[in-house]
Amino acid sequence: MNPHDQDHIPAFDDDAHEREWLAQETAMRRERLQMDPANDDARSRRYRLIARSLRQPLADSLPGDFAAQLAARVGAAPAADASASASFEFRLMLVLVAALVIAAGIVVAIYGNTWLPAFTELLPKPQAPATRWLLALAACLGTSWLMGLWQRHAHHGRG
Amino acid sequence: MDDIRSSPDHDLVDAVLANRPGAFERLVREYQGLCWHIIPRMVRNPEDARELCQDTFLRVHQCLHQYRHESALKSWIGRVAYTIALRHLQHKRIPILDPGSDVDGFDVVGNIGDGFDLEAACVDEEMARHLHEAIEALPPLQRTLLTLYYLEETSIPEIARITGLATGTIKSHLFRSRLRLRNALEVRTGVAA
Repeated sequence: MNPHDQDHIPAFDDDAHEREWLAQETAMRRERLQMDPANDDARSRRYRLIARSLRQPLADSLPGDFAAQLAARVGAAPAADASASASFEFRLMLVLVAALVIAAGIVVAIYGNTWLPAFTELLPKPQAPATRWLLALAACLGTSWLMGLWQRHAHHGRG
Repeated sequence: MDDIRSSPDHDLVDAVLANRPGAFERLVREYQGLCWHIIPRMVRNPEDARELCQDTFLRVHQCLHQYRHESALKSWIGRVAYTIALRHLQHKRIPILDPGSDVDGFDVVGNIGDGFDLEAACVDEEMARHLHEAIEALPPLQRTLLTLYYLEETSIPEIARITGLATGTIKSHLFRSRLRLRNALEVRTGVAA
């Protein structure tokens, strides 16, 4: 059961409407608690009569075996599991990355001799101290990112 | 968030996603009453309502992995049921509100007399039937909101999560519907007198 709290429910601009609303709410609560109607005014009694009518169960209903029927119907099609789906996506991503790396290696092995020297000339000399620090920084960042990715995957796998 | 994650709803969702025997049946059993308080109030026809209840739970089964525990499972399933019923009405071009419902009811505040025999009305089956007809004659949205509020005892903020309407709009609909029913009661009593 949820309390009919009034949090975040704006009041009517018109005071008469707000008073009527409060009368409706009070009558609903009094009817729900089955309080003695002797102390109610005529307006409250009317709203309690309405509340009584609204609280009556609906005439039709679902079949008694509705839940069992539905469960049998979906039994052949198991629910999609979020973690299984995420795990499949991760494995697929790893396979694609591995295929990309292998393809890049093959391309470099076949055609590397012709265009690789042109690129190496453009790169800064590896002996320069600034280049070494930059490479070390890139290696740290890359390792950190890979570790984070792996931890997130392991956490999802457990959850 | 931790409270929601360790709730029975969380365990139930995990059990359904893990395809544990009986878990989905338990979920349906738990929330079929909620669906039955939303869908028949929206679509009226009992056969359509039963079919849409089935569609609701099949949809829940299909999409449960998308449930992120950001709201109660009740609100999430209620939202699925409400959306399916709403689409059905839109497909059949049935309006969920009366065109003139923005203003109806407001004028009668304070204009209704106090002199009617309530005790007699309470025991009068004809009066109860008349009130029932007045409830059935309400537009689908107002009927559904009243049922959720009175029969399901759902709070206004939770109804807002189910329907996607603002709390102020829901309050306004509840207010006008109850005023309209009170008016129907008064008119009936006036005629009887």
